Amino acid sequence: MKIGRSNLAALIEKLAASGRRVVAPKDQGSYTDFGEIQKLAEADLSRVTTRMSIKQFFFPITEPILTFAISGNETILEQTAASEPQPTVIFGSRPCDAASLPILDEVFAWDYEDQFYLRRRAVTTVISISCTDCDDSCFCTALGLAPNSTDGSDLLLTPIADGEYLAEPCSDKGTRLAAEHAELFHDGDADKQAACGAALDRLPKPMDLDAIKAWLDEHFDDDFWAEASFKCIGCGACTYVCPTCHCFDIVDEADGEHGVRRKNWDSCQFGQFTRHASGHNPRPDSASRWRQRLMHKFKYYPERFSMRLCVGCGRCIRACPVQMNITEQLKRIEDMSGADGNAR
Amino acid sequence: MSKELECRARELLAGGSVAAVIGYAEGAVPDAAAPVVITAPDEAERLVLSPFCYNNLAVYLTRPEIKKLGRVGVVAKDADIRAIFVLMQENQIAREDVHIIGVSISRLGDPSAECRVLPYKTHEELLGHLVKNVPPAELSAIEDVAQLEDADRTERWAYWQNEFSRCIRCYACRQVCPLCYCTSCIAEKNRPQWIETSAHERGNFAWNITRAFHLAGRCVGCGECERACPAGIPLMKLNRKMAKEVRDNFHGYVAGYAFEGEALFAGHRPDDPDDFFE
Repeated sequence: MKIGRSNLAALIEKLAASGRRVVAPKDQGSYTDFGEIQKLAEADLSRVTTRMSIKQFFFPITEPILTFAISGNETILEQTAASEPQPTVIFGSRPCDAASLPILDEVFAWDYEDQFYLRRRAVTTVISISCTDCDDSCFCTALGLAPNSTDGSDLLLTPIADGEYLAEPCSDKGTRLAAEHAELFHDGDADKQAACGAALDRLPKPMDLDAIKAWLDEHFDDDFWAEASFKCIGCGACTYVCPTCHCFDIVDEADGEHGVRRKNWDSCQFGQFTRHASGHNPRPDSASRWRQRLMHKFKYYPERFSMRLCVGCGRCIRACPVQMNITEQLKRIEDMSGADGNAR
Repeated sequence: MSKELECRARELLAGGSVAAVIGYAEGAVPDAAAPVVITAPDEAERLVLSPFCYNNLAVYLTRPEIKKLGRVGVVAKDADIRAIFVLMQENQIAREDVHIIGVSISRLGDPSAECRVLPYKTHEELLGHLVKNVPPAELSAIEDVAQLEDADRTERWAYWQNEFSRCIRCYACRQVCPLCYCTSCIAEKNRPQWIETSAHERGNFAWNITRAFHLAGRCVGCGECERACPAGIPLMKLNRKMAKEVRDNFHGYVAGYAFEGEALFAGHRPDDPDDFFE
């Protein structure tokens, strides 16, 4: 199935007019970030990817979850409007971002069903656009993904010749969307791999992730961590731009006898993240915190959910003030694991 | 200059006068340099100098892992040297524990940017040549501060509302800053929660303005906070404004021009001409 550019513009306008919020990458000067659009022309799809990921639409940076007030001897709790999220269409996300959604679904629907995340998931449609190019920080292919993966998208558009897109529904939601606007699509097929050839040529080869995990299994106490993490300054930039990082903190903000409880992003890279009430901190230095980052993404999460907590989008590499480079570190671990084949 | 640095670092390490040298090594992507600490003479060949040596390495001098090594060498550009001096004034590091290898390289790849090294020799050595001696009072580059100062209060508020709306409270600004060395930052205290951690307008104003105030008279203008900010917030406008206020109200004081004597706001004298605190 295909869609031409002017029909795509019509689709966006119809979706925006349907009472749904449509968000897409918008020009912010030196980067693009998601913002609301009414028309396709307002979107800037020219960059490799946005600064921030799409997780903010399911797991906002700060979110009120209830309000509280004291009245006499009673505590009055009320749900916030956040529990009734606005139907949203995310347009122009990359396949790496979309792939983060099935990964996050695992933890947010695990032992506790996080309604703040799940309700947003239910009312959001993801229309992704395949990558025809990439930059030096991208590494989705190293993890077995691809610049034209359908994972997590409801509809995947791949740019082909003459302003046209190959259109693939990837879910029931996507199939319904295409059916509702069937007049805007037309028949036809195209070579998805050829369309993304420039990106595929530049992206790295797959890494031996099993060998990396095997090394992680055996080297919790290794001098590697201190040396590899020295330059890390302990900010949260990597975790906050990451599509799959999901730690949060619950805080109460009170003003006299009423207030709001909020769910805020938190980061395991902050120095005080694991500080106990006793004052003891089991991760007191950058070595233990950097180790946690790699272990969580490439050992603990796979053990728990059979998925890696990383999609290779490269945002952490671009955002890091001191160039901690997760790909470089994974390659070093792969080398140390004695893996052969695959690589460079 | 890179070769000269490699030789000096090797000599210092081989001779045992420093236990480690903190410098820059090649980054993983092209046109990049990243901080590195080397402890063996044969690692000296990893050290590079280039216009991409952005980081202020003084930030590592207050790390417990570095302090316990003893005396260390550190590669320092102009503002980095001033940051080291403020740390000494504030008793965070001792003069004898640091061997400053001053380097004069253009910041951010701009060949016309002058490296303004201190007017008197307080670093152990200077690689490259001294480009220009600049008296302290001229150091605050405040042209774009004037533009905001001329705007009225509503415009200024709207300006910062827009800028801070993008703040994600990652604290990269704090973590790259050598003068933000508190082991427990005010933003991390929660009994009471002086600064709300939420990335809403109130929390973001509180964080960014508090940090600017805490750095007044201490910030040396290295610009790392603004470069590190993933949201592109023009933090240096705030810092330059504070530096201007300090310079104009405290007899031309500029941070980092001495490593002895009192830091501006860290002391008290009974004959202080101000009486607002009495």
